[in-house]
Formats: sequence, C-alpha cells, structure tokens
Amino acid sequence: MIYKISYVVLGGSHPGAIVNRDTPPQVGEVIQLNGNEYEVVSVTDLIPPQGDFAYLHVTLRPR
Amino acid sequence: MKEVIELLKQSELFAGLPEDKIQQIVTIGSPRVYGAGDMIIAAGDPSDELYIVQEGLVEVLVSSGPAPDVPGAQEMTAVVQLGRGQVFGEMALVDRGARSATVRCVKSDTQLFVIPRDVFWDLCEQDHHIGYVVMRNIARDLSFKLRHRNLSRGA
Repeated sequence: MIYKISYVVLGGSHPGAIVNRDTPPQVGEVIQLNGNEYEVVSVTDLIPPQGDFAYLHVTLRPR
Repeated sequence: MKEVIELLKQSELFAGLPEDKIQQIVTIGSPRVYGAGDMIIAAGDPSDELYIVQEGLVEVLVSSGPAPDVPGAQEMTAVVQLGRGQVFGEMALVDRGARSATVRCVKSDTQLFVIPRDVFWDLCEQDHHIGYVVMRNIARDLSFKLRHRNLSRGA
C-alpha cells in the first residue's frame, strides 16, 4: 500500500505538505519537513482507499 | 530506467496502468535536478511540461493578490510543499493555460522527472487507455489537493 499523506501543521507556521509514504504515520510520531520537526497529533482517512493507494489527513504540531 | 519505472508506479498519476504502458511514458520524459531556492516554474508563464517529484521537496506559491494567474510584482505565499511521488504542472496538461502558481525547489538535489506536455498528450490520443487512466488520476489528485488546501485554511 502507498500512503498519500496530507500534512497540515496547526498554527499556520508551515504551509503543510503532500508526500507519499510506505507506512502510515502514527500519533506521537515525529515527522521532519524540510529540516523542522513536527509531532503527529491525529491521523484520519481523507477519502476511501482506492487500488494501491490510501489517502490520509495528518495534523501536526511544531515540537 | 528501472528507478524511474518504480517512481512512476508509485505516483498516483499512473496508478492502474500496466508496466508496459508505464515503460512507454518513461521513454518520453527525462530527469532533471534542482538546487534549494531554484525556480522551477513561474506563475503566468506559458506551460509545456508536467513534473513528478522523484526525490526531494518543492514548494508551491501563489499570489496573495486577487488575480493569481496574472503575472506581475505580487507578494507570494507558500500554500503547500510537495514531496516524493507528487505531481505538479498537471493543470497545463488539462487546460493548456498559463501556469497558475510558482513552484520553487526547497531541498538541495531535488530530482524531478519531466514529461513534455505535447508528446504526452499525443501518447494519450494514440492510447486512450493511458489517456483515460491519467485523466481520471489527475482529477483525483486535484481533488486531493483541494481538500488539503481547505483543511490547511482551517488549521
């Protein structure tokens, strides 16, 4: 499965990102976006999975 | 070439296409490398290429003014960063209009796979299965980006 992730950073300090990953993010996991670290706050399905793709909405907060 | 085939197989744009069709697409594109800060496309410019992020990160910027498609000296705001497997420049494939946003490289040694629009369009015309799958996937990708934008605005 390929996970297409919509990262949204709470507080507006970062524009957010869309990336593909081989594994789904977990709540509490630390994500790096262009050198800065963010903690995963929530993970939800953005739209239902289709084919080999899962579509996730992930909210982050700066560490 | 094998590396690019794997990239395209993992890009949603080509999801659902068999490997032989993906191999056809690989032959019409080429790799390109950018450094941090490099401008890849500029809003308002004519469009003739489609881009897939192979490795690295790019940033999409739009004008803060009321008419983002009109070129000129306007303040630019970053709306999203795109990483591995993501596509940009796809609106030009659909509407042949001017670039709707500026895209800048934010990570050094960012590798893109670049496909000329007209050659790709010809391939879609010759092979309607490729054309149908790619257009369906572009619609899904644009929908995903719109949902992301809506969620970002509420954050």
